[in-house]
Amino acid sequence: MKMTRYDLIVIGAGPAGLSAAIVAAKAGIKPVVYDENARPGGQLFKQIHKFFGSKEHMAKVRGFRIGEQLLAEAEAAGVKVVLNATVIGLFPEKEVLVRIGDEVSHVKGDAILIATGASENMVSFRGWTLPGVMGAGAAQTLMNLHHVKPGENVLMLGTGNVGLVVSYQLLQAGCQVKAVVDAAPRIGGYGVHASKLARTGVPFYLSHTIKEAEGTDHVTGVTIAEVDEHFQFIKGTEKHIEVDTICVAVGLSPMTQLLKMSGCEMKDTRGGYLPVCDAYGQTSIPGIFAAGDVSGIEEASSAMIEGRMAGYAIAEYLGFISSRERASEEEVQKASLDALRQGMFAPENRGKKIETTEEGIRISENLLTHGFVADDEISRFPGVTRKTGIHPVMECTQNIPCNPCQDACSKGCIAIGENITALPSVISGKECIGCGMCVASCSGQAIFLEEEDVADGMGEVTIPYEFLPLPAEGDTGYGLGRDGRIVCSASVSRVRTLKAYDHTALVTLRVPMEHLHETRFYRAQ
Amino acid sequence: MLDIQEKMKEIGPYVPAEDDDILVCRCEEVTKGEIRKAVHDGMTTIEELRRFTRCGMGLCQGQTCGRLVKSIVARELHVRPDEVEPATSRTPMRPIEMKVAGRDGGYAG
Repeated sequence: MKMTRYDLIVIGAGPAGLSAAIVAAKAGIKPVVYDENARPGGQLFKQIHKFFGSKEHMAKVRGFRIGEQLLAEAEAAGVKVVLNATVIGLFPEKEVLVRIGDEVSHVKGDAILIATGASENMVSFRGWTLPGVMGAGAAQTLMNLHHVKPGENVLMLGTGNVGLVVSYQLLQAGCQVKAVVDAAPRIGGYGVHASKLARTGVPFYLSHTIKEAEGTDHVTGVTIAEVDEHFQFIKGTEKHIEVDTICVAVGLSPMTQLLKMSGCEMKDTRGGYLPVCDAYGQTSIPGIFAAGDVSGIEEASSAMIEGRMAGYAIAEYLGFISSRERASEEEVQKASLDALRQGMFAPENRGKKIETTEEGIRISENLLTHGFVADDEISRFPGVTRKTGIHPVMECTQNIPCNPCQDACSKGCIAIGENITALPSVISGKECIGCGMCVASCSGQAIFLEEEDVADGMGEVTIPYEFLPLPAEGDTGYGLGRDGRIVCSASVSRVRTLKAYDHTALVTLRVPMEHLHETRFYRAQ
Repeated sequence: MLDIQEKMKEIGPYVPAEDDDILVCRCEEVTKGEIRKAVHDGMTTIEELRRFTRCGMGLCQGQTCGRLVKSIVARELHVRPDEVEPATSRTPMRPIEMKVAGRDGGYAG
């Protein structure tokens, strides 16, 4: 019997798998990509928020757009993607057992790339099996792929970036986020993501976790309680919250079963059960590679670079490019990946408490425990300046690898410099024209425009706004502070929705001067 | 190699806990208490636990509970979760109907 043989079999059509297949196909390899889902792109098509990084990482582009670009590129390169194709086995001699439709078949690859991604972790509290308890990723799938609202009143467990980003998307979908809860004493994800929630009034409960989900056939409420440093409940601290949905965002586990099955050397780490591989994804078995979350949980941006790196390594392994060609390509990719792995949230800083920024500025404690920078902390950061004319106020207070604001300003008002984790600062002497490009370009929605004394005792603040319906010019309502509390009444003096803003509307609020520097969100009357 | 007799002496007898009735493996409906008891019955690896209690042997193949089971076992044995021996990975990695598994197209691709 004739066995179908491929140069390269890629398992998983997410950001890593597709990126690798594109690189391989461009080198002359004919790869096949199997994915068990009905749609390619992995988790990218659920990501409706703007990504971080720099231009080369497609920063400020929304995740699903990156997915569309990746698919178009794969198609142009002649990559064959087979959907609804579940790989259920990987045997010696790189034999793959794949289920397609109602049949299983055996195929062989000269090289195999495993890019199967990760699955969501769960926690087992009383009532966790009730309908209404779901992974945050599942809620995101419901909302962003199937346009189904997961529930009305939601509690989010977990303050990593997944928990924070999905909470914001729940708000955008029209849900009420009643609380964001984490057993850890500090918020784990980017402060800017937390601040987007806090300014709408979402409360954070750190050092708290779920005690019990209530309900008989679905969730009707939840009890949370404070935990001590050993994560034991403290008696008498119970709080009851009425919710119909509980989202769990407590980390991801790499789906490494195929790697283990194939006999690759494995290691058990804090980040999960992982294959032992080199920087290019080569496992202990020559010709079997791993890339993306399956080789260690990171962001989609990193997964795409890891995929490309594995793609070049595979092309060399199969003899399609020389080791010299590979080395020069890998150098570019490695630099790009290293740039993403810098800053406070770099892999080596996981679990560490960081007290000061790279610039030597004390971190906002309030941001880590309540989700917003307190009014008396904000002025110590370099992006926050006070002057009369219109100017950007950049409430960017943690070193994260991101610099679109610097590129967005055509007048050169904003400086980050070569090191993309540096905090942005305002360059004096450059004139801000109030175009708002920096506001819309900030993936963390942390840039505002302020203009003092536009009328008698009044100033104007321009905020990024990603909710519907948009307020209309002339509307009156409330200005909310960084903590989400009402600070003053506000009137909407301008609403801008340029194509270049990419669906981030810019809402300009007129507020009393004494509240100008505190107003960061708008609520209709 | 773990000396089971020594380990059992070291960890002491099974003591019921208030949350023993919480389901851990949803697919096979195995509770936390059943897993804890199994450890005290001498099941110290995930492989043994899976065979003994069927936890992680259902539809999701331990995708949801695997990590939870590991942490329960680790706590019971007074070791770190990464010291607990993981289960073997086998085909089929995803649940598959017998009639489909039987319709093996061989090497046709």
